[in-house]
Amino acid sequence: MRDILSLFFAYAKSGLKSRFQYKVDAIVVIFAVFLREAGGIIAMYLALQKFGTVNGWSIDELLFLFSLIFITYGIFIVFFMALRDFPDWIKHGDFDRVMVRPRGVLTQLVLCGADWLAAFGHGTLGLLLLLVSANRVGIEWDVKTVLYYVMCVAGGVLIQGAVFLTFSAITFYVLETGSLKEIFYWNMRKFAIYPLSIYNKFIQAILLIVVPFAFVNYFPAQFFLRKPDMAQYPGWLMYITPAVGVAMYLLAYAFWRFSLRFYKSTGN
Amino acid sequence: MSRYIQFAVIRFKSKTAYRFDYFLGILNTLLSFVVYYSIYKALYSGQSYIDGVSFSMVTTSFLISLGLGSAFHKNEMFLQDKIKQGTIANELLKPVNFKLRMLFEDAGEGAFNVVFNFLPTAVIAALFAHLSTPSGALDLILCIASVMLGYIVLWQISFIVQSLSFWLFSVWGLVTIKNVLINIFAGAYIPMWFMPERIRSILHFTPFDSIYFMPVQLYLGQLNEMQVALGFAKQLVWIAVLYVIGEVCWRCGIKRLVVQGG
Amino acid sequence: MSSENMIEVSGLCKTFKIQKRAQGFIGALKNVFYPEHELKKAVNDVSFSIKEGEMVGFIGPNGAGKSTTVKMLSGILCPDSGQITVAGYTPHKQRKEYVANIGVVFGQKSQLSWDLSPLDSYEVIKHIYRIPDKLYKENLERYTELLGLGGFISQPVRQLSLGQRMRADIAAALLHSPKIVFFDEPTIGIDVVGKDKIRSFIKTLNKTDNITMIFTTHDMQDIEQTCERLIIIDDGKKLYDGSLDNVRKGYVSTRIIEAEFERLPVLLNIPKTEVAEAGGDPHKRIVTFNTDEIATGEVMAALMDTHNIKDISIKEPGIDAVIRDIYLGKIVIG
Repeated sequence: MRDILSLFFAYAKSGLKSRFQYKVDAIVVIFAVFLREAGGIIAMYLALQKFGTVNGWSIDELLFLFSLIFITYGIFIVFFMALRDFPDWIKHGDFDRVMVRPRGVLTQLVLCGADWLAAFGHGTLGLLLLLVSANRVGIEWDVKTVLYYVMCVAGGVLIQGAVFLTFSAITFYVLETGSLKEIFYWNMRKFAIYPLSIYNKFIQAILLIVVPFAFVNYFPAQFFLRKPDMAQYPGWLMYITPAVGVAMYLLAYAFWRFSLRFYKSTGN
Repeated sequence: MSRYIQFAVIRFKSKTAYRFDYFLGILNTLLSFVVYYSIYKALYSGQSYIDGVSFSMVTTSFLISLGLGSAFHKNEMFLQDKIKQGTIANELLKPVNFKLRMLFEDAGEGAFNVVFNFLPTAVIAALFAHLSTPSGALDLILCIASVMLGYIVLWQISFIVQSLSFWLFSVWGLVTIKNVLINIFAGAYIPMWFMPERIRSILHFTPFDSIYFMPVQLYLGQLNEMQVALGFAKQLVWIAVLYVIGEVCWRCGIKRLVVQGG
Repeated sequence: MSSENMIEVSGLCKTFKIQKRAQGFIGALKNVFYPEHELKKAVNDVSFSIKEGEMVGFIGPNGAGKSTTVKMLSGILCPDSGQITVAGYTPHKQRKEYVANIGVVFGQKSQLSWDLSPLDSYEVIKHIYRIPDKLYKENLERYTELLGLGGFISQPVRQLSLGQRMRADIAAALLHSPKIVFFDEPTIGIDVVGKDKIRSFIKTLNKTDNITMIFTTHDMQDIEQTCERLIIIDDGKKLYDGSLDNVRKGYVSTRIIEAEFERLPVLLNIPKTEVAEAGGDPHKRIVTFNTDEIATGEVMAALMDTHNIKDISIKEPGIDAVIRDIYLGKIVIG
């Protein structure tokens, strides 16, 4: 474990050093990421100004729901960035280098890929939203709620990590997975910004079973908010986010291990 | 000119090589539409008109915005990549106008997106969403004309930001910020009808509201002759202004490149 | 299997699937809806063995299968069939344990961070390979000196010349004291002086440290100056495996005479020789023959008897020409 940590810090040090070679650019990039993500919030704010509520959710409750996406993504991007951009790693030959180093392939990818600038952008925005909204929607923090919140964030990170681990494994077979990512991650994420209950049954099923974004933010948020639209789902769904995260990650890992042997390298 | 059209055709063809991506691309656009559709269905929650705007007008406006998004293709890191790799000098030696070539290649990719991605999506969307039909043939033609002008405006803004890569280490941040601002001001996030009145009155002076919203209004037949003429005039003025700025940036950049020996 | 063999390869095969691109607009549509594939045998039944401390050059044109072979040897690719044993390991099955013993230099792909100095990258490599402090320091000092990195080891890689970068890359691959090193096109794109530095370093290291080395290139000079043994690969097949000298000997009896004559017409009819025009100049001829069949003196005499000669030179064919002829199937050695 100490060994892994020291490797992580070695990567982090070199990664940060490399990004902050160009300080002005680094700051512009952080700001750009922040602003780009804030665009979605502005859209939500303007719409809610006009319409008041969506399915009984007020703007503050929606912001709390939204904040979970940014916070989990901010952490996700520290550990799973290399998997998010995995087709590029293969195309540019970086994965060959990973293969000839005496560490677990996934260990290297998880530890070395961090995009710190984007992580700052998303993380700051998420924390800001959380601070603003949590108070206004009246969440009472105690040991139990804080602990469950942390576990839900970890579960949410693992769920998204598992999704990208699966995509990366598919990359060994088809090389180009850009659209797959676009559909099953970025679009699902767009859905997850608003409460699950506003969508039709088919989309709900996808968000529950196929790409379970509902467990990244909707059900954890329901644990804290208990909005009336929760009545249409079994109550225990509010409590299983951490378990879903671990289970999905293990499944994805097994698929990844199986697929690694089909790696074809580039230049052929 | 035929040479430049050839650039567009080549780009169009080269896009057909990725089949897996192609089918998923349609699904992808469709899903973006479904997100908006679902959100506004919930917001309307059964009401037929809000502020005189019907639900089918809102969905039509979203669909048109999506189509414009895919038609308005710009390879925003193109110039930076060429400068970084040091191949810009070779490009300049070729006997073609670099800027026009860029424009036509982008337009070729945009055309591919419209034909192979947006049109199939629109057909599928029409099956489940109640969409408005164009108010008339003339309106449709005007709509397409305004789309083309809008593309040139957007493309030139992109070119100006890109040409800053002669001076900056990376323009990714600026490109991103630019796109956020355009999206907000052009009404890509929220239909312009629902924008607060104060913001709308400011937006009238920018080129943005006529890029996304004017085609929508033309399609729905919401504009009178005066407004149409004014809209087109505004676009033309902006095209001229942006052209001058773009040329200045480009020439200064090239000069700097030559002085520094690229 | 003999115990002194560091690398044993037998019956190695690897096939890739390649999408066919149809031409024209209809073709482009076809690519979208009915893509066709063809199979390419990148490596086709290749066998060889390499002893500990040996240095072997892999040569072949682009796409011949040398990189694919090296990628299978280094555990990156899984072979379709055939056996590989390196230092007692099966590379793709025992990857993690195995690769601690090897170093790999990809000429086309640096392992150094573009915006950082080589030294910064070495620090990360030290952690990845768990190199003990003492060994790391020793190796770093040694290779800094041998490869002449001192002047630029703290500069960002983006400011280095290709030759400097490659030397820094070679050091990076050696910091953990590997037993086997694979050099995949290490001199590609580098100027003559830079190439010489790299070649002489590799040769020295092989001699002093008894490191087993495989060196792929399509530059024949690389091989001539570093390796004693040569494996020629083309179209996925092994065409030749033996000493460099043998290749030379196969052609050692061939001679080429270039002559320029004073007057036209030039009419040459010497038995057992081949005569060709040279560069479109009607006064010049190239005469090729084998000294086992006809003595050089006889050819010279035949030329001078019939014509007035302005200039004449005798040459041995270069190793490049030999290799080219092997690719073309003109000569078979073995």
